[in-house]
Amino acid sequence: MTKLLLSIHVLVAILAVGSITVAASMFPRQALRAIGGEGPGVTALLHRVCRGYAVAGIAVPVFGIATGAQLGVLGDAWLIVSLVLTGIAAALLGLVILPGQRSLLALAEGQAPSGESTGNADAAADAAERAEHAQAAARPVAARLAMLTGIFNVLWAVVVVLMIVRPSSTTGA
Amino acid sequence: MRTLRIAAAAEAASLALLLGNLLTVHAPALSALLGPLHGTAYLVVIATTWMTPAAATPGTRWRALVPGVGGLLVLRRIEARSPAN
Repeated sequence: MTKLLLSIHVLVAILAVGSITVAASMFPRQALRAIGGEGPGVTALLHRVCRGYAVAGIAVPVFGIATGAQLGVLGDAWLIVSLVLTGIAAALLGLVILPGQRSLLALAEGQAPSGESTGNADAAADAAERAEHAQAAARPVAARLAMLTGIFNVLWAVVVVLMIVRPSSTTGA
Repeated sequence: MRTLRIAAAAEAASLALLLGNLLTVHAPALSALLGPLHGTAYLVVIATTWMTPAAATPGTRWRALVPGVGGLLVLRRIEARSPAN
């Protein structure tokens, strides 16, 4: 039973957390492009991936704790540190990164796509200028979001290393 | 909403199976597998309720915290509040 629980834990960790790290890393740049007039389609999809897989990712710590309980290692320092880091990463994702993505996405959706030509050169130039302004305003927000996403990714990398190295563990390599 | 529906059903069903197992054969393997499943469903119900705009009415989100039937309570409340559907 421990092997089954551990398999589910690792499988969901690879699928869910891996997808989130990739989609969240691509999001800020793509959001800036969308605000610049590319249309919000891809940005909305990336946000959906992050949100959907964040919900699926709930299974990772739950099955991890179940595995740890079966192995009797819940009191080990490496596991407690991993759990705290996972908690910090989850809070960062749910309370900071996803809301940040939502506000950038709202900006992108509010921006009319500049690709459609209305036949009026003045209007097109106007739209391009407005898009440029919006992009300049959104750039600091996107940069901050990129930094937070990087911190999120580093936290997960640290947890994965802790899971493999298991410092001071006595249950073998 | 679809996620919430699935998670609510899984939450209630897994708890029923867990209790049924406890009262009858009490196989440890079944408890070990259903326990985490129920825990995941419970947390997914809370998370999806928090993200669903339709659940943003007073008292709806707190119902998600009720063990076992929280998801079903939230669904019932959402459907009662939206007679359009």
